[in-house]
Amino acid sequence: MNLFNKKSNKLQTTNEFNQVVVGNSLTKDAWRRLKKNKMAVISVIIVIVYILLATLAPILPIYPYDEIILDHQHLKPSFSKNAGELLMEKRLADIYTQAWRQGRMQVSEAEEEMLWAWIDSSNANKVWDYMFVVGSEQVAEGTYTLTAAEKRIIENLEKKLQTDLQITVKKVWYTNSETGKKENVARLPVEQVVEIYAEMVGASIASVSNQYEREIEQQLVKVIMAQNTGLTPEEYLLLYDKKLESMSEREHDKLIKENVFSKIVSYAKDIASQDLKTAATDASAEFPLDKEISILGSLSADVEATRKHDRQYYLGTDNQGRDMLSRIIYGGQVSIAIGFIGTITSVLIGIVLGSLAGYLGGKVDYFIMRIVDIMYGLPYMLLVIIAMAIFGRNILNLFFALAIISWLTISRMVRGQIMSLKNQEFIEAARSMGAPTWRIIFKHLVPNSLSVIIVFSTLRIPSFIMTESFLSYLGLGVQAPYASWGSLVGDAVGGMTLYPWKLFFPAATMTIFLFAMNFLGDGLRDAFDPQSKNQL
Amino acid sequence: MSKTTEKRPLLEVVDLKQHFPIESGFIIRRQIGAVRAVDGISFTVNEGETLGIVGESGCGKSTTVRSIAQLYKPTSGSVIFDGIDLVNAPREQMLDARKNIQMIFQDPYASLDPRMTVRTIIAEPLEIYRTRGMLDPSVTKDVIERRVEELMERVGLNKAFKNRYPHEFSGGQRQRIGIARALALNPKIILADEPVSALDVSIQSQILNLLHDLQKELGLTYVFIAHDLAVIEYISTRVAVMYLGKIMELSRSSDLYKNPLHPYTKALLSAAPIPDPVIERKRQRIILTGDVPSPNKERFGCYFYDRCPYKMEKCKTNIPPMKRIDENHEVACWLYE
Repeated sequence: MNLFNKKSNKLQTTNEFNQVVVGNSLTKDAWRRLKKNKMAVISVIIVIVYILLATLAPILPIYPYDEIILDHQHLKPSFSKNAGELLMEKRLADIYTQAWRQGRMQVSEAEEEMLWAWIDSSNANKVWDYMFVVGSEQVAEGTYTLTAAEKRIIENLEKKLQTDLQITVKKVWYTNSETGKKENVARLPVEQVVEIYAEMVGASIASVSNQYEREIEQQLVKVIMAQNTGLTPEEYLLLYDKKLESMSEREHDKLIKENVFSKIVSYAKDIASQDLKTAATDASAEFPLDKEISILGSLSADVEATRKHDRQYYLGTDNQGRDMLSRIIYGGQVSIAIGFIGTITSVLIGIVLGSLAGYLGGKVDYFIMRIVDIMYGLPYMLLVIIAMAIFGRNILNLFFALAIISWLTISRMVRGQIMSLKNQEFIEAARSMGAPTWRIIFKHLVPNSLSVIIVFSTLRIPSFIMTESFLSYLGLGVQAPYASWGSLVGDAVGGMTLYPWKLFFPAATMTIFLFAMNFLGDGLRDAFDPQSKNQL
Repeated sequence: MSKTTEKRPLLEVVDLKQHFPIESGFIIRRQIGAVRAVDGISFTVNEGETLGIVGESGCGKSTTVRSIAQLYKPTSGSVIFDGIDLVNAPREQMLDARKNIQMIFQDPYASLDPRMTVRTIIAEPLEIYRTRGMLDPSVTKDVIERRVEELMERVGLNKAFKNRYPHEFSGGQRQRIGIARALALNPKIILADEPVSALDVSIQSQILNLLHDLQKELGLTYVFIAHDLAVIEYISTRVAVMYLGKIMELSRSSDLYKNPLHPYTKALLSAAPIPDPVIERKRQRIILTGDVPSPNKERFGCYFYDRCPYKMEKCKTNIPPMKRIDENHEVACWLYE
């Protein structure tokens, strides 16, 4: 409370001669001018929406970006139909096309010609779409009857669509027979979890423990083998023993519990899926459903089940049946992060080196600028590719590789700015007051060249995203299951004619963002430079 | 009593030289010459007086002042302030002594950081010396805040404007901000580098009066540069006339204007217009031939030799020393041997 009072006291006037006038800083002025620029404001909004979507991706109601459903490969984007309907449509189109090709379905002469023209120009999508419409009409009119085999195929698919369930076990409950209390199995101590599992499968505790010990060993050896390559089996065992020794009791218990608990869950899932499948077949249950199912005696589980084919893919799916919408949003996370982090690191390095070179001049300037010249001489892409090849392909290395190379232009620009500013009288004034070098650089020179730096870095973000996209397109960027806009475009190029949505949506998303960033940069430049000709 | 304190030299400049190297070469830079901006000048400034420095453009007035303020490292010579040689003293000691030497700059538009508020600008010297630990520990943020307000009132600015930015002020007001900044550390001597030449005549007089009042109230000492002879006559106790990095004549202000001795001073004074049309019409101008020669080469004769109407054979090869004509009048010319 006191704090607020202090602030408001400062701005209170006691009489008309004793008032505090709040000044109009250059930054405030620039902001005011930016707000007048419509394109820049729209761009700011777009950028903010993008950033919000990317950061809030985990809590958005979208499907996981790395969940593979092989049945749902290459589904068309659709707002009205769910995956099941699309699958059925696809199958029917396939059947009708087959029927036409085999001469069992008759179409008019003109249609025939058109269809063959499409086939010649490899427009398979159009053929299928057209045949689906024609076939459905003919079936409805009765001019074409489905064969028995075809009917069976359709029935099977219908049944599959009905009964394919996605089941997740949320919690497993254990009802204590003595006290009658319900307990969450995941929170129980290890021994009890093992006991429950033994009771569940009807095996002795010794055989259960034997099994999980073996599995844990395999798991650990796998990790060790991934970390160290080219060792003899004895050495691996040695490493494994060391690892076991270094592990505390608690860590070991945790591993056991994870192992056994996952088995209990998968057991519960098996039982639940059997139960629910029958329920789905005779339509005795409503989906999506969320209820508790008893598994075995004292065990029960909270189960959530949805029909797998009820999913809606607004932007279609890719070749592994992953949702494009969530892949684009998660890809945005990577692309935008690379844009911003790359720019920030390169701007920081550029400011420090550029301002030192510009302000100190002489030998320091000479050496820094020669390093910059040399690095300019090296082929940019090649360096990034080499760095990625040496340090391994992961996102952090990508940031690093881009940042170490992209500070060059910024440092040159900052140096130029600072050289033109350092002979200004206010810098001389600061020196005459005894200001140390760092203060002159960071309190006077950098703030005065900040407008140029901000404009430049805004325009720099798109170029980072482009570079990352290019690298991902070449296969040097992010690796599956992670996605970036560039890698999505790169993956999509293969099936461009058959599945255009895979290319179109990530490309459009990226283009809109890059446009917004460029407009924002232009707007900022105009805002910071009141003398510029093309201001509004 | 007051006479003796006034006579105590506060600042002593001894044979100060400021040469700027001219370098050439691609990778290995070699010095091929030097611009002799200030070429061996000596003078003293007494406590409480105003030393005016006049001279035409490029004669080294500003460089002299900047060398005194240690903005450039002088090539040779010494600047002795309060018994400390600023040129050769260790950095800490130099900074501590220089707290008492502050500058006012020529261009009120360029000498204030456009991204700082008036408060930050005026408080900056205090902040710098506070972070260096060279101020009294009792100086806190609040003390600085009050000091800023006090300074703003003192130089005739409304303290309500302390959150404003320099671009919201007129030239005269900005120069007042610059003066307030120079006063912040309670300096003993202020080096004013043409503080009024960028201002309107009416504003000039306001600023000059302000400087005059401050001198009376705070007992300041000024080194005041101007190329306007009237301004110098108004404000100075003593005047030094500079030409090509050398002092030609150094005299009490009244003596200089009544009785100029050096041919260059005579020419300079004859060039000043007189604000009375009758006298102005009768004014005889001494027109000097030629331009100011380049300060790049070393000279062995009188620096004014090339343009002097009274030049003699002796002047060509001998540099005239400062010759004391009377108590308050010195001149560097062989005519007065």
